[in-house]
Amino acid sequence: MYQTSPLLQFAENQLQIIALLFMAVVYALKIRWIFRFPEGKDRQAPGGKGAIGAAKGAKTSLLAIAMPWTMASTRNHGLLYAQFVVFHLGVAASIAMSFLIPYAPGLMRGPGAVLALQALFGLAALVGVVRLVRRLGSPYLRAISSPDDYFSLGLLIVWLAFSALAAPNRGEAAEWPLTAYFLLTAFFLIYVPFSKISHYIYYPFARWYLGRTLGHRGSYPLVKGA
Amino acid sequence: MPVERSERATALIERLPQKVNRQMMLSLEACVHCGLCSDQCHYVLANPGDVTYAPAYKADRIRKLFKAHIDWSGRVAPWWVGARSVYRDEELEELKDTVFGKCTNCRRCTMNCPMGVDMATFNRMARGLLVHVGVMPDGVAHVAKDQWEIGNQMGVLPEDYLGTLTWMEQELQSEYNDPEIKIPVDKPDADVLYTINPREAKYDPRTIAEAAIIFHFAGENWTMSTEGWDMTNFGLFNGDDELGGAVSARVYDTMTRLRARKLVISECGHGFRSTRCEGPNWAKRDLSFPMESAIFTMLNYIKEGRIQVDKSRNPEPVTYHDSCNLARSCGITEEPRELLQLVCSDFREMHPNRAENFCCTGGGGAMSMTEYAPRRLQSAKIKAEQLRATGAKTVVTSCHNCVDGLFDLIRHYKLDMEVKLLVNLVAKAMVVPQAAVAEVMPTVVEVVQPVMQLAGRKILVVDDEPDVRAYLRAIFEEQGAQVVDVPDCNQAMRAIESDRPDLMTLDLIMPHKTGDKLYWDLRKDPNYANLPVVIITGYMRMEAPGIDFHRFIAEKNLPAPEGFLEKPIQPEAVLALVAGIVGKRVSLHK
Repeated sequence: MYQTSPLLQFAENQLQIIALLFMAVVYALKIRWIFRFPEGKDRQAPGGKGAIGAAKGAKTSLLAIAMPWTMASTRNHGLLYAQFVVFHLGVAASIAMSFLIPYAPGLMRGPGAVLALQALFGLAALVGVVRLVRRLGSPYLRAISSPDDYFSLGLLIVWLAFSALAAPNRGEAAEWPLTAYFLLTAFFLIYVPFSKISHYIYYPFARWYLGRTLGHRGSYPLVKGA
Repeated sequence: MPVERSERATALIERLPQKVNRQMMLSLEACVHCGLCSDQCHYVLANPGDVTYAPAYKADRIRKLFKAHIDWSGRVAPWWVGARSVYRDEELEELKDTVFGKCTNCRRCTMNCPMGVDMATFNRMARGLLVHVGVMPDGVAHVAKDQWEIGNQMGVLPEDYLGTLTWMEQELQSEYNDPEIKIPVDKPDADVLYTINPREAKYDPRTIAEAAIIFHFAGENWTMSTEGWDMTNFGLFNGDDELGGAVSARVYDTMTRLRARKLVISECGHGFRSTRCEGPNWAKRDLSFPMESAIFTMLNYIKEGRIQVDKSRNPEPVTYHDSCNLARSCGITEEPRELLQLVCSDFREMHPNRAENFCCTGGGGAMSMTEYAPRRLQSAKIKAEQLRATGAKTVVTSCHNCVDGLFDLIRHYKLDMEVKLLVNLVAKAMVVPQAAVAEVMPTVVEVVQPVMQLAGRKILVVDDEPDVRAYLRAIFEEQGAQVVDVPDCNQAMRAIESDRPDLMTLDLIMPHKTGDKLYWDLRKDPNYANLPVVIITGYMRMEAPGIDFHRFIAEKNLPAPEGFLEKPIQPEAVLALVAGIVGKRVSLHK
């Protein structure tokens, strides 16, 4: 009978909880920090046609990321947008898997589910490599990239690769992919709040404020060029 | 050894936290360096390979400061997150070059950022920081000073402004043979207070007359004002919220003083945005009166039947350039098109358009920063290609800044095109009521053939202000002259050698080399000592003590110039002077 090693047990349980708690505390502090900055007041009267407005502007702005046709930058770079989708789906699935393996392994039992997850992680890791090559190859991206940009991307590529190896969840065959995956996940959770990966904390606020301001004056959602 | 920070750098850093609000902080934090903004900027597209034009790169110059002083990650591990402070004045100059010289705050990158990073807003914030410590292009300093001290950004004096209104009123009365046509000033309780761009009073007064005649035939109860008539606001461009608030407040106070019911803002993208959208925030005022762009006013007059228009009077192919401030920042995209469909018969869409249009390249105060003119014109390649592809003969816009930017690039790229405002087309298409026509008709007793006073003459215009060059060019060309214009003295010297003009108009205050130095060089050179020169300057002695021209020529024992005019100049005056000089003198090259 297979017995999970104490290291793996610790890595997939206590360590994850500690890392998650740490991340939650740092995120709470970050959000508190955001709200310490004064909110710019908007005294102007509503503009544009009645159909727009601040609420619609804010809502549309928040959903803009799922509407690539609304921006020339995403509309004209379909391949980059597809890469973005695959990469972020891979990250989201891997985060979900870090909960499923220790607490609901039954949900990942079917070979189809495991294969689908592995394909997603593999593809997402590949996209990560493509993004890294692009970052290193494009003078525009090189000029704006900090060590954190490279490290965060590298970390995610490795983590996604180990996610693909860990997805079968077969400790009895080999524990190291699982152990490495959970150790990396813990590191990821602790590192993320200090890195650019935490952009998803800022995203909803930044888009909401932009959409609200421009929606109020009637210029958002954008009127697309004819 | 730690580097000592300069006084200006210290002041800038101390000011930084006061300028960062929540929206700005989020924009500074949210960038993921994806680079999707790069090919949305006309500077990047026109300068492929130069990464310093990329919006994210430019934004990072400011983000580095934010990280170094406000974001703790930048204080703990600056090299890891790319944080960097400023220490030397040279670094402030570099920042100035980026935020003033490589961005027009057109907001196209903002609208295309998947993260919602509002780069234009914090670029403006960075301009404000630099202005606070006295680091800015000379032109920006001059214009802001004029708006603070004289009350309008072109330094138009009250007597010149009122004189122009009277002149336009007389022109209209004479043209329509109707003494009842008025340009009311400071009329209380009017339904409309009409505010303008000082460029109209100084260089393009015909637009005031056109608006006036539209108001007249629409039967509007309207007025202009002696104070607070400038709806433009250089605070938007130089990032100075205090200037922005003071200028907006002048307009709002005039509304209150005259008890006007609605504020109508003439065609100006940044003026509309400043007065209608940003002004209440800068001035910290909650306003109760409505404000609208003249685009809406003219459109409503037509829709309500208050004026009639005949679109066949504008038969030439026309395209429309969306001003960044109107389209991207104020959502005005459809009304100008609706109006154009009513007043011209061949409207052609430009691509891309509306909120996706490219900047005219003259926005963000760029026209006042002559030192960046070469890169502005280089980046205008994108706009020139857009314009050329339409095949239109006229590009219409609804912004005076765009008029200047487009005018400059049309000349630079040799496009067969002219620039007009909507008001020009509406006035031309307007059908004058029969009663008025009947009164006008008897006065047209004979057709006078125009006399081209400058036919066959070549005139060199030397002035760093594109507006002035365009204005003088129009005056001289209308009289048959061939005009060469240049923005500085070095180019002037080359033009004198190659183009051999019959006369030169010369500004005094210009970057790199002032006009008095060029005048001295010319008078010392036997080849050009007789070239007639008309000094046209906007600076009185007390304002520019370093360039007291009269004292200068006296001390150097130089002959006086053939003419001397102070801006603002009236077309009749400059024409009479120049025609008189070239009429008397034979070109030294003939």
